[in-house]
Amino acid sequence: MNKEELVIETQNLQKKYITDTVETTALAGVDLSIKRGEFVAIMGPSGCGKSTLLNILGMLDSPSSGVFKFLGQDISNATERQRAKLRKHNLGFVFQSFNLIDELTVEENIALPLAYLGVSKAETNKRVQEAMERMGIAHRRNHFPQQLSGGQQQRVAIARATVSNPALILADEPTGNLDSVHGREVMAMLAELNESGTTVVMVTHSPSDAEYAHRIVNLFDGQIVTENLNVKRHAAELL
Amino acid sequence: MLRNYFKIAFRNLLRNKVYSTINIVGLAIGVASCILIFLYVKDELSYENHFSKADRIVRVAGEVIFEGHQDAFSVTPPPLYDAVREFSGVESVTQFFQAGKQTVWYQDQSFTEDKLLFADSAFFRVFDYAFVAGNPATALSTPNAIVLTEELAQKYFGGAAQAMGQVLRFSKDSYTVTGVYRDQGHSHIAASGLLSRLTVDSQTPEDVRNNQWFNLNRYTYALLPDPQHIPDFQKQLDVLTEAHVNPWIKENRLSAHVKYIAQPLKSIHFDTRYGGDGLSPKGNISYVYIFGAVAVFLLLIACINYMNLATARSAKRAKEVGLRKVVGADRSQIIWQFIGESVLLTLIAVLLALALVQIFIPNFNTLTDKNFTSDFFMHWEFLSVVLAIVLFVGIVAGSYPAFFLSGFKPADVLKSDKHPKGGSATLRRALVVLQFSISLIMIIGTIVVFMQMHFLKNSDLGFKKEQVMVIDIPSGDSTLVQHLPLIKQKLEQHPKVLQTSNTLSIPAEGLSRTLMLMEQDGEMVEKTMDAIAVDHDFIPVLGIQMQAGRNFSPNIKTDERSGIIINEAAAKWLGWADPLGKKVITGNEEIADNSARVIGVVKDFHITSLHSEVQPLAIFLVPQSAGYLLARLAPEDQAATIQFIQEQWRTFDPEHPMEYFFMDEFFDKQYRAEEKMLTVFGYFAGLTILIACLGLFGLASFTAEQRTKEIGIRKVLGSSVSDIVLLLSKDFALLVLLAIALASPIAWYGMRQWLQDFAYRVDLSWWIFAIAGFAALAIALLTVSLQAVKAALLDPVKALRT
Repeated sequence: MNKEELVIETQNLQKKYITDTVETTALAGVDLSIKRGEFVAIMGPSGCGKSTLLNILGMLDSPSSGVFKFLGQDISNATERQRAKLRKHNLGFVFQSFNLIDELTVEENIALPLAYLGVSKAETNKRVQEAMERMGIAHRRNHFPQQLSGGQQQRVAIARATVSNPALILADEPTGNLDSVHGREVMAMLAELNESGTTVVMVTHSPSDAEYAHRIVNLFDGQIVTENLNVKRHAAELL
Repeated sequence: MLRNYFKIAFRNLLRNKVYSTINIVGLAIGVASCILIFLYVKDELSYENHFSKADRIVRVAGEVIFEGHQDAFSVTPPPLYDAVREFSGVESVTQFFQAGKQTVWYQDQSFTEDKLLFADSAFFRVFDYAFVAGNPATALSTPNAIVLTEELAQKYFGGAAQAMGQVLRFSKDSYTVTGVYRDQGHSHIAASGLLSRLTVDSQTPEDVRNNQWFNLNRYTYALLPDPQHIPDFQKQLDVLTEAHVNPWIKENRLSAHVKYIAQPLKSIHFDTRYGGDGLSPKGNISYVYIFGAVAVFLLLIACINYMNLATARSAKRAKEVGLRKVVGADRSQIIWQFIGESVLLTLIAVLLALALVQIFIPNFNTLTDKNFTSDFFMHWEFLSVVLAIVLFVGIVAGSYPAFFLSGFKPADVLKSDKHPKGGSATLRRALVVLQFSISLIMIIGTIVVFMQMHFLKNSDLGFKKEQVMVIDIPSGDSTLVQHLPLIKQKLEQHPKVLQTSNTLSIPAEGLSRTLMLMEQDGEMVEKTMDAIAVDHDFIPVLGIQMQAGRNFSPNIKTDERSGIIINEAAAKWLGWADPLGKKVITGNEEIADNSARVIGVVKDFHITSLHSEVQPLAIFLVPQSAGYLLARLAPEDQAATIQFIQEQWRTFDPEHPMEYFFMDEFFDKQYRAEEKMLTVFGYFAGLTILIACLGLFGLASFTAEQRTKEIGIRKVLGSSVSDIVLLLSKDFALLVLLAIALASPIAWYGMRQWLQDFAYRVDLSWWIFAIAGFAALAIALLTVSLQAVKAALLDPVKALRT
């Protein structure tokens, strides 16, 4: 694997929301590069544009202007259909509010991305089983989301995000709705995934969560103000 | 993936019971109505389809222009038969006529048959009925032969095989059974048996058969090589009338002009232009249209419920849509998921609808005078219609929610603090207005039809139709007619039989127009008008009022030949200021004996239904006739009185069963079509408003749910329960008011058109619309306020915590 390959590269990325009377700038020219295998944390105060940036990186939203390359391919002007295709093959999402489908069981929720990828039934069963075991939720396979604790729900969400082996995982405040014990559990899982080669981009408010990242990007008023290498994590890796 | 969709759909249905029930029940009612109406329409359109040559058979009908007045008849003169046989490009011609009411004896049993025809041997060449016994080619080629339907063969002989060669006795002749056929489909020729026409032809004078072109009493049908020959056949008919028929009429000094029309067989059932078409009840194409429109409306209203509720509760589905997109679904996949969901829901509704159809088939049969059974359930044609309904409704109802929901941006909907608005409220409001407009049109229609019916039945007809018993005197029994004065006397001895009358004509029966010469400015002028023949007692028995002059008197012998009574309309039409003593000549003017004088004028009375205005009428005296015996009864103890009359009748006529009916029922039968319309409107108005209210109930509950927080805040700030109810109901009330404004002019226009059919009709006053509007508003508010009160009573602390 070429460690220097760029998963994400943006140049002068801008996003403006225009309503009848007001024009709001959410992103005012962001230049960001993320290499394969990196763990990047995006931090900043409320309204600084963190979530907007994450949504654009996750192809859930499109930039107003600027260049956005994903795995070297310019997708600034990609259609909804192209973006949906890229998404299902390469991305996994983890949300603050878990966003599991209430009407589906744990097992069915995890299997959903594979269904859209058209994976065979046998292969699906195998991969879902692996993902559940990895997250320690196999005994809860037939439960519905409301029957689980927050920590368990987030583990289901991570299992779902990783079951298709995506190149990139985007996490939006993954510990925001959890107590500290469960929060640490979830962070440990993300770190483990990153160690096994998955690129992780995470938006967070919590400095302790950010400690898990290689690099911390600070956003303010839609612009990157500082980029710090996380010395602790680098040191750990060098050892 | 499909399994996944169905799983979600099922779990959603179970989780949202109110919502699912509203949708499924509404759709089921809509679909059940559609199925029943489909059966009706299909049945109405199936006339003559079982004849393999149906599309190349034509009936010859005639239009007669008489004094600028056009009449149309489905009956034609006997000589037309030979004339049409001479035409080129005609494969076969058949002519038949109704045998009327006949008493038929087999061994010691007798029955009355009124659906027999006298037909020729070509009948079965043109109409290829399936024969169960006998040979269609020869069955009617000899005199005194009779061919029966399977049903009649069963009734008399217990089967087709047993019937062959048996003899049935009629009052004049006897007939041998030469064939039995199966009457398997609908035809305007609703015969129960066919008698060989040769039997009576040999008794008819040759002149009538060959030369009398103005004797309209036979039905003439021609079989053409193919449907393209119809224009050519019509041309030959035109040549015949111009070269032969009209010159003959002129020669015989009749001032009429005739045109023959080739009428395709399949068009006959719905064609009501032609008089004398007494073979079977006519279809009414406007019923087919009204029923069809009602079915579409009901289904539309149910679909609207689905669309409205699905988009209203879209907030609940938004997260799922966003998530599916995040994990890689593209828009089309989401669209198909939601359409699949509505197809599934429709499928459940259709199963319920089939059960409803099963339950309501008997009621529907009464309503439509049909005989549907649930046998059709397993028929491929029916199943494909059901499948088409499922797909159509599923896709139509599902498409709007599908396109709406699939358009959600995941970035917007996955934020826990942001909820999308539940679809376009404007569109939803517009759809509610549409639903209520349709319901209101139905309600207004029901009220107007009801009022008109009440008016028709309770108007002063100028005669008293109540408590008049009418006994049908069998024809061809001259001794019975001779005994009539004695019978009248015997009956009147009973204290509850107030008065009797023997008459040839009764109200609400077909009238015959008679040609007369009438005195006008000192000259005798040719005029035609309606005429009836009655006895001395007809006018008092029916309570008809004299306006001038006197009634026929048994003491004045000349009344019978030279007395005539007219109505006010006739006096006005003829311009007679003083009609008494005016001269009238009936029949052939050369016989001086036929001249009569007007002896009386009756006040106008409605001898026909209130569809038409009172026409000029001439009343002649015929003291004894094989028509009817009228008996005005006292209102009390009628069962005993009727029994007494039956006993008396039997002593004079032991052979025929006495057949009787009551004048008011007979007269009101003329409004059967309108009565049916009233029932149809009543039922379906109820259903449309029910489905619309189901939808409104659902919408109101979602609105209340959406505004829980607002209601909580208002209550904390001091709002009362009634304030909240008003707040929530106001919006819906406005929509209903808008629907009233929209529906009223449409209903006004439609009902005005419908009322045009009546010469006498109710006014479309403003208050009809006010009542309908008020009713709709009240029902809607009741529905909405149930939800509103529930929401208003909710504990504000609870409301604000969520």
